[in-house]
Amino acid sequence: MRREEEFEQLRRLLALKRHEEPPPGYFDKFSREVISRIRAGERGNHSGEGSWLQRLWAAVESKPIFAGAFGAAVCALLITGILNSEETGVNSPAILNGVSAQAAAPFPQSAPAMALNRPDAAQSFLVTNSSTPSLDSLFDYHLNVQPASATVDLLGDGQ
Amino acid sequence: MMIMTDPATGKAQKDSASRQKTPASAETPAAPEPTESELVARARRGDLAAYDELVRRYQQRVYATIYHMTSNHEDANDLAQEAFIKAFQALKSFKGGSSFYTWVYRIAVNKTINFLKQRKNRSQMSLNDLDFNVEHDPDLVALISDKTPRREVNLTELQEKLNEAMQRLSEPHRLTVTLHDIQGLSHEEIAKIMECNTGTVRSRLFYARQQLQGYLSDYLK
Repeated sequence: MRREEEFEQLRRLLALKRHEEPPPGYFDKFSREVISRIRAGERGNHSGEGSWLQRLWAAVESKPIFAGAFGAAVCALLITGILNSEETGVNSPAILNGVSAQAAAPFPQSAPAMALNRPDAAQSFLVTNSSTPSLDSLFDYHLNVQPASATVDLLGDGQ
Repeated sequence: MMIMTDPATGKAQKDSASRQKTPASAETPAAPEPTESELVARARRGDLAAYDELVRRYQQRVYATIYHMTSNHEDANDLAQEAFIKAFQALKSFKGGSSFYTWVYRIAVNKTINFLKQRKNRSQMSLNDLDFNVEHDPDLVALISDKTPRREVNLTELQEKLNEAMQRLSEPHRLTVTLHDIQGLSHEEIAKIMECNTGTVRSRLFYARQQLQGYLSDYLK
């Protein structure tokens, strides 16, 4: 009898656990998440292994925290990229100057283009590297290129 | 609308609030709630809306059982979702020998016990908040105000001690106490879920209560 009374007190104490409730609204979205995970699994089955993009999308769909983390990672990547590009622009003016100087230099008309404009196009012509102006930058290079000759049969008549 | 299901029969019952029809609904009588077996049959044909209804019927009790076993909300959430997903995938093998309720409960319980066995170290507890009705629960009011030697005890501390004591029990003993003393299931129902006889359920319950009394002696007379 004494034991029964003690168990009755314990039973009352255990009743406290019935009042432990998950966060409000938890059960409203629970079944939605289950169904969404089942759908994601079915899609994965239909397309064999499923691409990494589909699996990522399924994970994002079933767990909103993944969506938030993914968004934050993309933003962080974007900001890092912008900051790095600004630093590069500030720290290396020589490179930019060199590039702009090179870009501004007029290209000599190429030999093949000149050859094609002529009516007697089926003939030999010389292809040479044009001399590059000396630049004080990373792109400042001096190549000693020997003239190279090539015969191109543009009309295909074997001449 | 809140739907309660009779664990023994598995048949859906509307709660008392939803039985009170509004004038609009009185004019156009609502379609009868589909039975559990109808929903199971539809779900087996791939009807996800039917399965969604089944999940809604049992999600609270399945979640609560796993939560009381793990004392961790996040683990309970993952395991409960996985149990329902596994049940859907295995629906074709569901013979209907027991109710869907018992069957899904068994899946959840097996999943939880496997999880607890694999979890080498006891993880940190992540307890849910107590609802606002707790201070009006007659069982607790009587226990705390009159009989507890430590009358100054606050409910949050009591909740922690109770969960710690539960975690010290072995998994079968914890499950038996959870299903009987917290969830209110009968010995017969527990025997079906745990796939053992009622004698085993009774002896496990007796032993588990003895253990808990020892752990919680400060809070009992």
